[in-house]
Amino acid sequence: MIEALQNVFWILIFPGFVFTIVLGLVASWIVRKVSALVQWRVGPPLFQPFYDVMKLMGKETLIPQDAQRTVFIVAPLVGLSGVLLLSTMLGVAAFWPGETFVGDIIVAIYLMVLPSLALILGSSASASPHATIGTSREMKLVMGYELPLVLAFIVVIIKTGGQLNLAAIAEYTPALSISGMLAFLAALLCVQAKLGFVPFDIAESETEVASGIIIEYSGALLAVWKLMQAMMLVALPLFLVMVFLGGFGTTAGWPLVCGIGKYILVLVLLILIKNTNPRLRIDQAMKFFWVYCGIALVIAVILASIGSNYGINWL
Amino acid sequence: MRGKGTKRAKNGFFLSFLRKQESRRWENMNQEELNNRLSEIKDKLIDIEQTTDSRIFLLCEAENSYAVSKFLFEDVPLRFVIATGIDSEDCFEILYHFSNDETGCFVTVKAFIRDRENPAIESIAPFLPAAEWIEREIHDILGIDFNNHPDMRRLILADNWPEGVYPLRKDTKLPVRLVDDEPSGRPTVQSKSPACRTVQLSKPVLPVGPFHPLQEEMEFFQLTVDGEIVTDIDVRISYNHRGIEKISETLQFDQVPFLVSRVCGICSASHPLAYINAVEEIAGITPPDRAQYVRVIINELERIHSHLLWVGLAGHFIGYDTVFMWSWKYREPVLDLLEEITGNRNNYGNVKVGGCREDIPNELKPKILKEMDKLEKKIEMLTKAVLDDPVIHARLKGVGTLSNEDAIKYAVAGPTARGSGVAIDVRRDDPYAAYADLDWKVIVQHEGDVFAKAVVRLLEVLEAIKIIRQAINKLPDGPIAIEVREIPPGEACGRAEAPRGETFHYVRSDGGNRPIRHKIRAPSFVNVPSFRASCIGQHIADVTITLAAVDPCYSCTERLAVIDGHNNVLHDYDALLKLSRQKTARIKKELGAPELKLEDF
Amino acid sequence: MSWKIWSLKKSIWVFHVNTGACNNCDIEIVNLLTPKYDVERFGIKIVGSPRHADALLVTGVVTAQAAPRLREVYRQTAKPCVVFAIGACACETGIFNGGYHVVGPVDKIIREIDPNAIIAYVPGCPPKPEAMISGVVKALSVL
Repeated sequence: MIEALQNVFWILIFPGFVFTIVLGLVASWIVRKVSALVQWRVGPPLFQPFYDVMKLMGKETLIPQDAQRTVFIVAPLVGLSGVLLLSTMLGVAAFWPGETFVGDIIVAIYLMVLPSLALILGSSASASPHATIGTSREMKLVMGYELPLVLAFIVVIIKTGGQLNLAAIAEYTPALSISGMLAFLAALLCVQAKLGFVPFDIAESETEVASGIIIEYSGALLAVWKLMQAMMLVALPLFLVMVFLGGFGTTAGWPLVCGIGKYILVLVLLILIKNTNPRLRIDQAMKFFWVYCGIALVIAVILASIGSNYGINWL
Repeated sequence: MRGKGTKRAKNGFFLSFLRKQESRRWENMNQEELNNRLSEIKDKLIDIEQTTDSRIFLLCEAENSYAVSKFLFEDVPLRFVIATGIDSEDCFEILYHFSNDETGCFVTVKAFIRDRENPAIESIAPFLPAAEWIEREIHDILGIDFNNHPDMRRLILADNWPEGVYPLRKDTKLPVRLVDDEPSGRPTVQSKSPACRTVQLSKPVLPVGPFHPLQEEMEFFQLTVDGEIVTDIDVRISYNHRGIEKISETLQFDQVPFLVSRVCGICSASHPLAYINAVEEIAGITPPDRAQYVRVIINELERIHSHLLWVGLAGHFIGYDTVFMWSWKYREPVLDLLEEITGNRNNYGNVKVGGCREDIPNELKPKILKEMDKLEKKIEMLTKAVLDDPVIHARLKGVGTLSNEDAIKYAVAGPTARGSGVAIDVRRDDPYAAYADLDWKVIVQHEGDVFAKAVVRLLEVLEAIKIIRQAINKLPDGPIAIEVREIPPGEACGRAEAPRGETFHYVRSDGGNRPIRHKIRAPSFVNVPSFRASCIGQHIADVTITLAAVDPCYSCTERLAVIDGHNNVLHDYDALLKLSRQKTARIKKELGAPELKLEDF
Repeated sequence: MSWKIWSLKKSIWVFHVNTGACNNCDIEIVNLLTPKYDVERFGIKIVGSPRHADALLVTGVVTAQAAPRLREVYRQTAKPCVVFAIGACACETGIFNGGYHVVGPVDKIIREIDPNAIIAYVPGCPPKPEAMISGVVKALSVL
């Protein structure tokens, strides 16, 4: 009974739904504010993303006549639940390390794919020729970055001596080694693509809406997509922090501050890359991920294996 | 104030862009030689009329107009400007206007179509692609058939405008009741497609699907592609057609400037000036000198802010949003200056027949000079940064090239022409206002690509600043306008150099206080069809910047869509924009170039 | 006031429709994004689809070719939404009154399909960006 209540608390309040949404919307405000400052503008106020979501909830939802109704409605909910579970798992692994289970990193990798899959499903169900273009591009992009992302995690697993438990991996700091740093950078760029940020974005900078992907959505369903994107801004950097940067310290005082600092560091890196680069073409992005990232990660895997075999920590 | 000499020495790279004026296709000709050449076809003409030194009318019957026009375009040779259709009492008249830029002389072929039941004339489009659109327009509004026209489709009237109703005929009853046959209900609606070219496209109906925002605009430009290369384009215009020429016939002569300054918002000082040049020519009056200088200042200020607008949009299309924000930020002082002088940021309403309405107070002169100094520094910095950037070189050079021959065939004007080596500029060829008294250069490039046009525009801003300085310093005292009581009967052609090119107005008066015919030709009317020549063979990632290089009005560039041979929409405007920016990013990576840095202020 | 209207006032997403304008109003609308006016401070964002929009910024006298499109865009916009008629042409056809290709100002076309549409008028030729912002604020205070 207590356990069920505890699970509900985890999923709904902290570190689940409420916490992630609040933190995610604040993070998306940071992104917009920094972009505005770079363009000599003032930018939106702090609560703007909250107002946006609230307003969308209040608008009517239009569903195209030719769309697949069920898939159209269910897709954003699937994406949202995927991110929700992911952030809950990560939060639990950070704050209640005893409650995690072996192999949860694999579950986390699976859950990470759900938002992208949901986007693809939702836009193909839109029955719009323009959404179809965006869908095919998104599919190619997903094929591009999923493999390097998994390879990066494999590097970490090798370096930590085969640990498959998030809490245990968080004890190590793989980024402080050559292979780990390579893997971290590759994973950072893959996360950039997953979030839909420049230089891998599908969206137009004025609209901040994936052109063609969610162009047919409106009202409450669009609000769900926005929430999903905001929550990804929490879950994915947190994932990187847990896996590469030595976990999220949870005891009050220095470790907690360090943990928050690491999260902000990853967020800042993502924003920096976003604001200092123009966009890439889809085949260029594919080439980047498969060729450059792939080679770098293969080297990293080799180095990591050598390192862990012979006990050389800095490789 | 620093002397000009020091500035030139510091910015030596400008010299490489300022070349000598290119010898044109037209041989050096003076007025006498022109008259001699024109008398060679005397046998085909009824008469030759000369209203002023530089305005010649060749009257002929409709059967001979093809031969006369061919002679003028190919043998003399002259530049085609536009054609005007007029419904006179007993006949139709088609006026083909040609321009001799060496002497600034207008030669107009006035062809009379006597048959009012079935008016027809031989089309000149087969040897002059520039005439295709205007003949389609005359067919729409006057119902005249053009025999052997390669592509006679509806151009400027709406899809649901009834057949057989010609608005500019005197006997047409207006207003016309339009029936909309669109289905009601929401949200997915199939749209009716425009008439498609049967040559390339197999299916007549283009399904658009539920994505409606682009449906409003998607029929504007349709590009047919083979893989990633553009093979053909088709244009549907009509959205902006407001019937201004007809409205003009209902207004009095001094009310018309307010109407025509709203033809296009960014050329809003050039259109009234061209019209007024025509009317003042009919009336035979010359406004006072002070008014001429004030007209120059207002027009050059407009040129500055229009070119800066273009720079911003071009930067936006290739992915440099900082350039966009920056150049639009620096339009603001120019707009504020215009507001101080005329009372409005955009539609100035400052010219009238006989002079100007608002004067430039002498207290304002130092402020204008100071603003020009500040602006010049910023523009020089922008020019250097933009034109030296290797990514911009790679992105814009060789893209959207309009060859010299095509520039002449499509009779383009303005920076579009000057970027392709066609050195025409109304301010020098047929001086109006005070341009004859001022010292400035015509900027000409020869490559014809988007980069050349960008160079032309940026350097023209610097020339405009120079002109304004001279005009302010030489501003003579005196009245700002003279009174004009009536306009005698007559006809005249007036033109002005808008930021986009030559703006042409033809006005005919019968002695009353309204024009009986007013023909307006905006420069985009000839520049936009040339998009066909510069776009075919290009990659679709370059389509947006190629169209932007022609500098149509802002909303025109939003109306782009790419379809394949089976009428499936491949790319909408957003996707094309994204392709353009992605190409920039790819080039950047290849060159390893750093991000374009603009200093902060 | 219901929370829907309150949140609508805090976050207005606009879609720009040109129904046959001379482009002055359109350029002043784009000017709103630039650093001097920067409407993102007020939560106003220009979006690329009417389905995401809360307000339509309509410019231009409605020409015959553009009228069906305007109606369609209005239908596609998720309600509640406000229609802003920007400029003298959109408010009452301005100087183009009586033209043969002009089918009437924006409110006539919109009211054909929705007699209860909320329409706000921002006159001017073109209205200055300050006037547009003021018009938006006034319309919101009436909502």
